[in-house]
Amino acid sequence: MTAEAAEDRVPPVDAAQEAVGHDHSLAHRLGRPIAISVKDVDKVFTGQRPVRALEDVSFEIPVGTFVSLIGPSGCGKSTLLRLVAGLSKPTAGRIEANGIEPREARRRRQFGIVFQSPVLFDWRTVAANIALPLQILGRPRAEIDARVAELAELVGLTEFVNHHPYELSGGMQQRVAIARALSFAPPFLLMDEPFGALDMITRDRMASELLRIWSSTLDTTVMFITHSIPEAILLSDQVVVMSSRPGRVSRIVTIDLPRPRTEEIRESRAFYEYDAELRRLLVEGDASATR
Amino acid sequence: MTQLRGPLRILAVIAVVLAIWYLGAFLLERSGDRIAYAKLPYPHAILAKVAASPATVLEATWETGSRAVMGFFIGLIVGGLFATVMVQARAIEVSFLPYVLASQMVPIIALVPIMRAILREPELVRLYLASYVTFFVITVAVLRGLKSVDRNALELMDSLNAGRGTVLRVLRLPAAVPYIFSGMRIAAPLSLIGAILVDLVSGQGGLGYLMIAAVVVGPSQATLLWAALLISFSLGLLFARTVVWVERRVSPWQPAFRQVSG
Repeated sequence: MTAEAAEDRVPPVDAAQEAVGHDHSLAHRLGRPIAISVKDVDKVFTGQRPVRALEDVSFEIPVGTFVSLIGPSGCGKSTLLRLVAGLSKPTAGRIEANGIEPREARRRRQFGIVFQSPVLFDWRTVAANIALPLQILGRPRAEIDARVAELAELVGLTEFVNHHPYELSGGMQQRVAIARALSFAPPFLLMDEPFGALDMITRDRMASELLRIWSSTLDTTVMFITHSIPEAILLSDQVVVMSSRPGRVSRIVTIDLPRPRTEEIRESRAFYEYDAELRRLLVEGDASATR
Repeated sequence: MTQLRGPLRILAVIAVVLAIWYLGAFLLERSGDRIAYAKLPYPHAILAKVAASPATVLEATWETGSRAVMGFFIGLIVGGLFATVMVQARAIEVSFLPYVLASQMVPIIALVPIMRAILREPELVRLYLASYVTFFVITVAVLRGLKSVDRNALELMDSLNAGRGTVLRVLRLPAAVPYIFSGMRIAAPLSLIGAILVDLVSGQGGLGYLMIAAVVVGPSQATLLWAALLISFSLGLLFARTVVWVERRVSPWQPAFRQVSG
């Protein structure tokens, strides 16, 4: 259903006009092979009172695209991310990452993960935190050092590599977490509300930073969970809108805005219309869930 | 007081305690109590007692202190291993932890004659008891520490397909360090008490033996009892301070030691 939904959707007129000349590139990107495929997925947490967290969830993420999942609290976004990451198993349905089952993909270290809290190791310096995955992978020392220096520069923390995480601000800590997730160049970057704990100003800046960092990687496919509609629009090629109890996909919206996206794009008419549309979809989803 | 730092502050505290002590001893003496010298002897009388037979006191201190330290390390290793095994599976923890807790319900003093009968060597009994009391505190502390890790941190390790050994080495053990040191700070003086307890009961040497001997002989040897008490007090303090000193050097990243605020 997902691909059709994306095609059927008529983009707002202004967006279509503004995106002239870039439309091709987006279509091209969306036309790429599927990197993550989620099909008819159910997840029920068994217990004394079984909880149905996800019901009949399907969507696809093409290689090298940025897809956001947005929805109210309790719509199972984080659960979905854990399923895709191979950290837990769906009750029904099928998930594939580059054609393989998530648990196997996890064993092959295909996923870089960033959580809402940075989850840095206090006893390690910034450099050692970034190096963690590479050390676990058993890469040679020289390679690790070079890669850490490269990533520290990418996230703008070169001066802080010898600091400890608690000496950094929240935004900087989250940048370390992003560098760590990218250190072993995984094909997938899974982010669970990575900027949710930051203040608004830092949050906006981090979103732009993330775009810059992402564009410097080679075809990294991103699955991004957020509560923030503007953040989802600014970052994504597609936004998967979810409703809660049980979590379902209510709509998939293609964000046809030109890249590279800058802060100014937030002021554009198209941006505003996407914002209004997503807001409406979220309210509708919420209303149908509580009815 | 708040402006005084480090050694100066310690000296000030000692000076105040000594002043109160002298005053108390003086008042007691003036009250006409005939065994005031036994009830609360002057500090210098205690020092004189130690100076009169330094070898005896030193030997006793070494005998008890060294066994306490050795027992402490044995307890540390055994407790650490116990906790490490228990954290591997909930089933193991549930089956063993109650017995670790129950081990402390036994009156320790009753263990001394039993262990003497089994081990025979008083040396070994001292080691056993010192490690026995340490082991419990350390097991509980290390277990809590190993389990203190964030759920997301475990998921992160999982996503990197890290094995149990790697998770233990890279995540669980470093995260447990503050807990381990808290346990050690409690266990260090306890190991000393365990060792002294053996001296008291088996009465063949050590600080506890000095105490018993002084009590048996009577008021004339009260200064010796006080000397033994003061030495064990200082040893316990020294042990605890050493643990803190090592902790600061091993894990300066702990929140309590951070120089930076905010």
